[in-house]
Amino acid sequence: MFDKILIANRGEIAIRIIRTCNRLGISTVAVYSEADSRSLHRQLADESVYIGESQSQKSYLDINKIIAAAKATGAQAVHPGYGFLSEKADFAKAVEAAGLVFIGPPVEAVDLMGDKITSKELAKNAGVPVIPGHIEAVRDEAEALAAAKSVGYPILLKPAAGGGGKGMRIVRKAEDMKEALAASRKETQKAFNDTRVFVERYIEQPRHIEIQILADSHGNVVHLGERECSIQRRYQKVIEESPSPAVSAELRQRMGQAACDLAQTANYVNAGTVEFVLDAHQNFYFLEMNTRLQVEHPVTEMVTGLDLVEWQLRIASGEPLPFDQKGVRFNGWAIEARICAEDPSRGFIPSTGMITRYAAPRGAGIRVDSGVNIGGKVDVYYDSMLAKLICHGKTREDARRALIEALNGYHIEGVSTNIDFVTSVLCLPEFAEGNLHTGFIDQHFEGGKSKRSPAIQYLRLAALVAGLIYHTRTVAVRESMRHMVSDIGGKREMGRTPRYMVRCEDEHFEVTLEAAPISGETCTIRVDGNMYQVEIPVFEFFRRRLKLIINGQAYRFRIQFEESFMFVSFNGLSRLFEVYTPKEWAMMQYMPEKADAALNNILVCPMPGLVVDVLAQKGERVFRGQNLVILESMKMESGVASPVDGVIADVLVHKGQAVEADQTLIKFEVV
Amino acid sequence: MDTQYNATLETLERLRAESISAGGEEKKNDQHRKGKLTARERLDLLLDDGTFEEFDVLKVGRGGSLGEEKSYLGDGVITGHGSIDGREVFVFSQDFTILGGSLGEAHAQKICKVMDLAVKVGAPIIGLNDSGGARIQEGMDALAAYGEIFHRNVRASGVVPQISCIMGPCAGGAVYSPSITDFVFMVEDSSYMFVTGPSVVKTVTHQDITSEDLGGARVHAQKSGVAHFTVQNDVLALREVRRLISYLPSNNRLKSPILNLSDAPDRTDPALDYLIPGNSNQTYDMNVLILSILDGAEFMEVHAGFARNIICGFGRLGGQTVGLVANQPAVLAGVLDNDASFKAGRFVRFCDSFNIPLITLVDVPGFMPGPDQEHGGIIRHGAKLLYAFTEATVPRISVIIRKAYGGAYLVMNSKHIHCDVNYAWPTAEIAVMGPKGAAEVIHRKEIYSAEDPEAVLAEKMEEYRRTFANPFIAAQRGYIDDVIFPRDTRSHLIRTLQMLDSKRTKGPDRKHGNIPL
Repeated sequence: MFDKILIANRGEIAIRIIRTCNRLGISTVAVYSEADSRSLHRQLADESVYIGESQSQKSYLDINKIIAAAKATGAQAVHPGYGFLSEKADFAKAVEAAGLVFIGPPVEAVDLMGDKITSKELAKNAGVPVIPGHIEAVRDEAEALAAAKSVGYPILLKPAAGGGGKGMRIVRKAEDMKEALAASRKETQKAFNDTRVFVERYIEQPRHIEIQILADSHGNVVHLGERECSIQRRYQKVIEESPSPAVSAELRQRMGQAACDLAQTANYVNAGTVEFVLDAHQNFYFLEMNTRLQVEHPVTEMVTGLDLVEWQLRIASGEPLPFDQKGVRFNGWAIEARICAEDPSRGFIPSTGMITRYAAPRGAGIRVDSGVNIGGKVDVYYDSMLAKLICHGKTREDARRALIEALNGYHIEGVSTNIDFVTSVLCLPEFAEGNLHTGFIDQHFEGGKSKRSPAIQYLRLAALVAGLIYHTRTVAVRESMRHMVSDIGGKREMGRTPRYMVRCEDEHFEVTLEAAPISGETCTIRVDGNMYQVEIPVFEFFRRRLKLIINGQAYRFRIQFEESFMFVSFNGLSRLFEVYTPKEWAMMQYMPEKADAALNNILVCPMPGLVVDVLAQKGERVFRGQNLVILESMKMESGVASPVDGVIADVLVHKGQAVEADQTLIKFEVV
Repeated sequence: MDTQYNATLETLERLRAESISAGGEEKKNDQHRKGKLTARERLDLLLDDGTFEEFDVLKVGRGGSLGEEKSYLGDGVITGHGSIDGREVFVFSQDFTILGGSLGEAHAQKICKVMDLAVKVGAPIIGLNDSGGARIQEGMDALAAYGEIFHRNVRASGVVPQISCIMGPCAGGAVYSPSITDFVFMVEDSSYMFVTGPSVVKTVTHQDITSEDLGGARVHAQKSGVAHFTVQNDVLALREVRRLISYLPSNNRLKSPILNLSDAPDRTDPALDYLIPGNSNQTYDMNVLILSILDGAEFMEVHAGFARNIICGFGRLGGQTVGLVANQPAVLAGVLDNDASFKAGRFVRFCDSFNIPLITLVDVPGFMPGPDQEHGGIIRHGAKLLYAFTEATVPRISVIIRKAYGGAYLVMNSKHIHCDVNYAWPTAEIAVMGPKGAAEVIHRKEIYSAEDPEAVLAEKMEEYRRTFANPFIAAQRGYIDDVIFPRDTRSHLIRTLQMLDSKRTKGPDRKHGNIPL
């Protein structure tokens, strides 16, 4: 076993690896860039080495700097994590050439599996079913049409280089081929500088099922069951689970065997994942193999009880696997949600800033793999994933409910997150039924919001919370005035049953408290006539999370005051709740509708200064709050944010230009 | 005798009903159509249920000096007292449905009566303005009436809190009363204030401008600084008035109410240790710090849209109301300029009048340079803020967050103008000048005689930064009382407030000083 390893990564996965190393008594060396100088992964490692400027190319992707750091600190092995250099054969080669151990498969396997063509060949040789497709890249429309004809429609145009869905186009009939091919080529040229495109059968409503395998250097291979990763948005996984509701024991055995066969044929060593596509008829087809640890590995760990990082280290140091396939046990169900710094209401654009509050859920069956903590800075340079939340349960339904509860109690402030979006996915009945496929999110969501309104029961509970907190605060304010109120005639009480009208977008609810709520006692609260027995806690108004026992069950809410009203987040809904007294409510009918903010079609310079950078260009779609220009003024740099969602019609300034206050910087297209 | 008595009762009922019906159903509906509430509806929302005691329901005017026929019961304003969250306040609510809410002699006398009582008993005065201005038909009597109100605004100033809520027009001479009061709320889209209206402007300067653009809520909140708060509609305006009042004592003899929000006084916030960027030229948002230290993360910002390079507002620490003044480095690098000095100066003096402790969070690189500011009197305005802080005898605590350069540092409630306790963060840079300016002056000869002046300047700047961009020299002199960890800021502030709670100081014996206005 190693004494010291270097982790060539950052954020969540670096911390994950450090955790296992600490348990095994292995010293850790972290590498960090300029932007990560105060990061959590750097703080948690035993040693850390600065490797360059914030841009990945200058730091985390710089092979030489990483090898140099390993050598300088005396690390014996390098763990590449996922992403960055983890699947670059060059890196694996360089590590070995430097006399260090690469914690992963042999270079040849990385090379082989890194190329879509060779990996598919290997799969075929191993007897693993592959998606019907044409072997060679197509050079023109004629070839594409011929290939499509032999493969059978519907087909998928798939670029040879890269992934993440770029350049992929579905073609259902020959007439659509010309346009789709041109679009696909254009996108891959831009993204990968490689226009090779393959024709492959397109599987309708496919499910993404992957098998985790472990192979030691002594020829033993086992599989650790499957993971379903069908909940994706733009080909990025959002929710993963193990096992899959679509996979029977028999299918698991067949798929597991196929994955092991593939690994053996490739002389694979260490952890790896074989990705398959499952169609509606229980047929599976090989997609690709990932020669590294996957983001979603925790669900496998929670179900099998194995620490995959530990096994990676053991295998890399030459130990044999002490168990065979029969020794792998599966217990219960685990579901993971990826928490990302993005704004679902604004096209999921990445959100940046400093995390001003951070409170993660805790408890039995709850696991949080986080890359950040309070005070962490989220930048533009790297992936927007902040953390992973995984919940385990005896059954799928147990795990699902536990995850929803845990998400309700996960509070991150300072950046926008997808927490409520993910929760709303989990709350959908279709998710509970397990009807998953890779088009799930597109089918049920639009503009980052569920096409279906939140269940009325959820809204009622949120309205109850808003009313209760409003009432409690009002009472507290009255209490604070007592010393200024005359004693003559006795202190005036509020003298009425607390009744409020709570409005939330198009809905409104009548919330009535049958008695004065007293901490430690139960109070009956009615919402539109529905009765709830609520155990009243001590309200700490600084806190953003609230746990309430309602009708004997614990519910978690996230709340935030906005002047007189409050945001309540619960079970995926996140809305502004306006609480009115009955007389205010009666008067609200006369109040005009809030006029939309005057359509600002220009971006105005807020103060005199110098344009340091222009971050957007003509024709680009931007969102309100997104920084478009960086200004230097009074020796300080600050971003000028877009006032609207829109498309840029004209950029009127350039880098290095001096500007005045109120000068127009950018014009938007008039909608 | 019975019939006499019954007749009187009948008359009383009839007159009351007439007074309450005000301008009539049609005019009331007009108000509603404009998205406004009637004068009585507004009072109903503002005050606690069943606590309103109305005066002068039956008061009428003496008749116009220019021959006005009809007189109206109540004369277009509803006055009296009631409670807000249990505590007594005096109110007047102008009734637009009666002669456009115009102010006549009787109308003004009603207002003066409640103002006099408010001062006697020490209770806040809240005015809901919705008036076309002076009642022309009453001529000089109307003007004289305004004078009486202004006189009382000034007599009450600093004695009881005075709040004006502009919920409709407020033009001509009428604008002076709200301007003298402590806080002005304006309702968006339905209220406006100006001395001379658009029609006269058109005649005299030939400029076409709407009421909204001349003196609407947005204009006064962002450009002139006349309005401290803008609100979306009448209902929310009254709610915000209640919210503001909850921070304030009823009169200048009392301290503010203590509101328990169950927020631990020793709560630390690790995020603050990461707030200040490593690079001195990068900004951060001061609001993050403000919301972190205050009870319940509740902050009522005053003048939010005006002079955004400085932040003023009310919060609570340990339950007690505090007045917060903080530079905002994210806007104009947090420099002090004319508008910021005025904004903060008035806020500081209000807090001093009403026993509200002052907390300053300092990150100021200096005063805004340039002829605009100099010709605009930055000297006077800066002096105004300096005077306001120096004169204040309430507990004054200062926390230096980052830059504290030169005169601006002195002005921002520094130890040298006798603030009570002065803390600094480890990131504090307390110096007579910024590194560039200082290096250029001190090493001028060396820089300009060098082969590479830029390089020498950079080197000298670095040297200056190392020596002075920290709180230690100031700490050595005792100019700051302690260097604290950012995460502990709240608990230090509350401990200090506890200690200063019994502070008693008096200014010198004089009528009043001569603050540069």
